[in-house]
Amino acid sequence: MKICIINGSPKTAKSTSGLLIEYLTSFLKGNEVVTYNVCKTDLSQAQFSQIQSSEVLIFAFPLYVDSLNSGFLRFLVELENRGFSNKNSTVYCMINNGFYEGRQNHVAADIMRNWCKAVGLTYGQTLGIGAGEMLPFFKDIPLGVGPNKNIGIAFQELSHNILCLSQGEDLFTSPNWPRFLWKIASSYSFWYPKAKKNGLKRRRLKHTVK
Amino acid sequence: MNILIHDLSKEHFCSLFSDVYKDAYIVSDIGTIRHCIGCFGCWIKTPGTCVLKDGYENMGELLSKSEKVTIISRCFYGCYSPFVKNVLDRSIPWLLPFFKILNNETHHKRRYQNKMRFAVHFYGENITAEEKETAKKLVKANCTNFYVKNYEISFSNTLNELRGEVTAI
Repeated sequence: MKICIINGSPKTAKSTSGLLIEYLTSFLKGNEVVTYNVCKTDLSQAQFSQIQSSEVLIFAFPLYVDSLNSGFLRFLVELENRGFSNKNSTVYCMINNGFYEGRQNHVAADIMRNWCKAVGLTYGQTLGIGAGEMLPFFKDIPLGVGPNKNIGIAFQELSHNILCLSQGEDLFTSPNWPRFLWKIASSYSFWYPKAKKNGLKRRRLKHTVK
Repeated sequence: MNILIHDLSKEHFCSLFSDVYKDAYIVSDIGTIRHCIGCFGCWIKTPGTCVLKDGYENMGELLSKSEKVTIISRCFYGCYSPFVKNVLDRSIPWLLPFFKILNNETHHKRRYQNKMRFAVHFYGENITAEEKETAKKLVKANCTNFYVKNYEISFSNTLNELRGEVTAI
């Protein structure tokens, strides 16, 4: 089966979307899988053709201000303008967000459904994952185990539907990690150390521009 | 201060809205805007200001001085246009990186305490019922995240219809 995965993360460094793609491709062995990052590089005509002719189209992207980041949105508009002569592709999405709750990806999932309708493709399923910035910290823990338990279960269902070209209800999940600990860790293990590396004191992060 | 963020061409804006928005700060597409790259620089490197210097780096500060934010955007799939979404992506310096719980959901804390009103006017031919529903959910979510309690949304098929919707800032 020809599967095309689109990474819609604009990050210059490693992204959580990239990690989710790594997780998913481990379930898709034996298929012809190609991946493109559409926010970093301009695609060639041949690459667009590959996207337009794939049987499965999977989009992985982060949630920006409750929806799609502008670079990825621009790409979707271009893809709509180019059109799909083959309407047999089924579309799946993996969306990650910085908030704890995966369900906060639901508006972005609706936007992707509307895009599918506009271009005439079938929508398969959404996997929306919360606490996205935390996932790389758990990347050495197998899916389905410990903090990756829920995410592993969700990937099993998503990959099963992809391989069967089935539709499924949207899946929204978060790591198996208490929200209050995630909230504390986000400040003390993420924002403060990053600020310190930039030579900033904690209180400077609350700076207001006059 | 009132802000207008719009994606109209200069010609359309001047012919339809220049009288209405003569006192507002206008954020329009001057062709230089860069996409947010998710670097968090506006939170952990130059707090409150985006690190991309393209004329749109001060959106957080601009919003901090705003009472009313009007958005005029073509509707794409229930979302804003790429340019308007670009401006909103670059507006997160108004927020802090830290989280709080609101209605059992996590959201970013606010950097500024000013109260804003939002008026969002979508336009475009054949906006579907599903797209309108999605757009309403999107604006509501944006308002939650930007601590906006008062907001209004409209949908117009044509620019002339849009002109009728937008009567004052």
